[in-house]
Amino acid sequence: MTHPQTLAEATELAHRIEQQLNRVLIGQQQVVREVLIALITGGHVLVEGVPGLGKTLLVRSLGRVLDLDFNRIQFTPDLMPTDVTGHAMYDPKSEQFRIRRGPAFTQLLLADEINRAPAKTQAALLEVMQERQITIEGKAFTLSEPFMVLATQNPLDQEGTYPLPEAELDRFLFKVLIDYPGHDDETTLVNMVLDGTIAASLDVDSLTAVADADAIAALKTLSATVLLDPEVLDYALRLVRTTRDFPGIIHGASPRASIALARAARAQALFEGRDFVTPDDIQQVARPVLRHRIQLSADAEIEGQTPESALERLLAQVEAPKQ
Amino acid sequence: MELEKANARLAPRGPWQAVDLGTRLYRHWAGPVTLIWLAMTALPFAALLGVSVQTESLWPILLFWWLKPLWERPVLAFYSHALFNETLAMGAIFRRLPSYARNGLIGQLTWRRLSPWRSFNNNVWQLEGARGDQANQRMRVLASGQPNRAAMLTLIVLHLEQFMTLGLLALLYMLIPWQFDLELSSWFFEQGSLQIVISCLCWYLVMVVTEPLYVACGFALYLNKRTWLEGWDLQLGLTRIGRRRGMLAIALLLLLPVLNPQPARADDQPARQQAIEVLAGKDFMPMEEAHERRWKDQSDSESDWMRALWKWLMEHKPEEKNHDPMSLPDGLIRTLAWLLFIAVALWLIIRILRYLDQGGTTAGRKGESAPPTHVAGLDIRQQSLPDNLTAAINQALQANDIRTALSLLLRAVLADLLPRYPVRVHRGTTEQQCLRALRQQHGEQPLFAYLARLVDAWVRTAWAHRPVEASQVRELLDHWQQLHRGEHAHA
Repeated sequence: MTHPQTLAEATELAHRIEQQLNRVLIGQQQVVREVLIALITGGHVLVEGVPGLGKTLLVRSLGRVLDLDFNRIQFTPDLMPTDVTGHAMYDPKSEQFRIRRGPAFTQLLLADEINRAPAKTQAALLEVMQERQITIEGKAFTLSEPFMVLATQNPLDQEGTYPLPEAELDRFLFKVLIDYPGHDDETTLVNMVLDGTIAASLDVDSLTAVADADAIAALKTLSATVLLDPEVLDYALRLVRTTRDFPGIIHGASPRASIALARAARAQALFEGRDFVTPDDIQQVARPVLRHRIQLSADAEIEGQTPESALERLLAQVEAPKQ
Repeated sequence: MELEKANARLAPRGPWQAVDLGTRLYRHWAGPVTLIWLAMTALPFAALLGVSVQTESLWPILLFWWLKPLWERPVLAFYSHALFNETLAMGAIFRRLPSYARNGLIGQLTWRRLSPWRSFNNNVWQLEGARGDQANQRMRVLASGQPNRAAMLTLIVLHLEQFMTLGLLALLYMLIPWQFDLELSSWFFEQGSLQIVISCLCWYLVMVVTEPLYVACGFALYLNKRTWLEGWDLQLGLTRIGRRRGMLAIALLLLLPVLNPQPARADDQPARQQAIEVLAGKDFMPMEEAHERRWKDQSDSESDWMRALWKWLMEHKPEEKNHDPMSLPDGLIRTLAWLLFIAVALWLIIRILRYLDQGGTTAGRKGESAPPTHVAGLDIRQQSLPDNLTAAINQALQANDIRTALSLLLRAVLADLLPRYPVRVHRGTTEQQCLRALRQQHGEQPLFAYLARLVDAWVRTAWAHRPVEASQVRELLDHWQQLHRGEHAHA
């Protein structure tokens, strides 16, 4: 498997990965693009969507196409932190404590319905997500790169859920909204299942691995070389700073959002085959970066505003950079 | 009261929307108001419950219930300050307790105790400081117009309180081990000390939630009523217009004397004095301090000519015979002046209505009606472009200033395209977004393919710091001139 050396090769590889994923995830091109940007940027993704739209399929396909380890945890109210990270257990044979590694010891971790677990268990993921290491019995274990958490939450069923704390939300690079496919895409999907082109179940065997962990590391290194003009960076910062003093928003985004926006815009430019970032790239990634980092005021919610509509207004009002 | 400091948007709402706002207020300050409620009531409740247990009587608990209007007042004081960004510390609340209990409390604890409008009327006594007939008159004014639903709110919260208490008692009953063999009837209906303590504690726990919520909803209903009656939203809107639209505000202020002229004053001092005395009487609203803006150093001559103009417009005098053949008839001039005045007033009203309709933003429909003046910070007004575009671009190319040359060309192309193919452009619209919007709204056109090439060259020059070759700019300019000539020939 060859690893990209130049930005052009990186773009080509990124497109190949994207193409493979779009073969099984019909009509979710935007979601696939955003998840890949997060992967290249080294961030985590919170996916929100109703069941049955292919969230698990997305992660399995990603693991297959990138030849990465994949684990899935179904979050439930009785899930304990040690069920996620692992624990030390006494082995009577050797008369010693043995570390039993939890499902978080992987490269792609699907945290399904993350908001069903109590805060204590959700917090167990904080260290994993931020420091990419797991501490068991005082001993720190570093996770292998790349490591990415894809957490899902269901927007409809809020009964018995624990909303994610702001500190944890901020650690997700993107919040990706996965919606129903369009009519044409759904027709294509049903036809492909009916004629046996793809299986109705989560069958990803038809996919071939086009990259590996080293290739992802190379993509990450190359995306960091994409040129970011000071004016464009200033535009990104102005967008984030405006969220802190914008009508209808009570809590704006943190400086972590500014960093995320700049990094994600570089990866977006790489996907577009450019070695420089344009203001358009910033706008493309602004919504997934900011939508979970802003909190609407009470009266904005009463008036029926959503984070999406607030960001729409914000993007329209913050002046585009000029040269 | 500085309305601009309000944490919630003061807009006219329906009564149930106002109640919804009340629940939001409660959720926002649930922590502090619960603490205030506990600090105010925990000790009295414990003492009265002790007496109740000792005497095996519910009268002391009834007394606690009877004193609810008193317990609610500090909570209301907290909300009224917190809404305007002022946080009252616990100590301050306790210090001000006598002032909260000054107005209307005796009535609320006696003949008005069973009033279903308590949550609403409490605001008049406590926050406005109205007393006696003034308070009654004020409450009549506030009760006018659409119903405020305060009575319905009391009924709902009363039921909520009862059902939640019963629910808690039922939950406790379910948690009692079966070995105790406790009958449901004895749990609910026996009057033993334990039952009194448990049921009263359940009721108190429920009140910790329902009482601050009830006060918040009543407060929100009161705010909403005042917004309707006193036009707080308009006041805020006009203040914002005044800030953002300086010129518009000045125009309004200039027109104000014309719209609202000083009435002619008759020299009737005794009648005026009498009127002042009547107005100062108890039957009218309490005096309020008011601040208004006035022109500084307004000279008499200015107001005189304004008055004279108004008098001239309003008075109809028979025309005198004028022998000058060039002079216009007085009636015609007056008619023209009226028409001009009406046109200016209508223009202002339309502008204000449009502005309010757009939610107080300058964006909105501007893009639909008038072509944009800027795209991504580039000035695309015709007057900002050089008369001879080709010469200006060539001059920039000779100076090896590719960026200026491309910028001129892009501005000229956008200035030509956008009036013909209108699209909505905001302050945040980028060049690439503008191109996408053109394609989306007007389909694929040959001109758009050209614009795509131009935008690509511009983006590379502007953001990649890699200016294109001068020959490429010349080629783009030639292409544009060809397209332009072709368009005109076709037209």
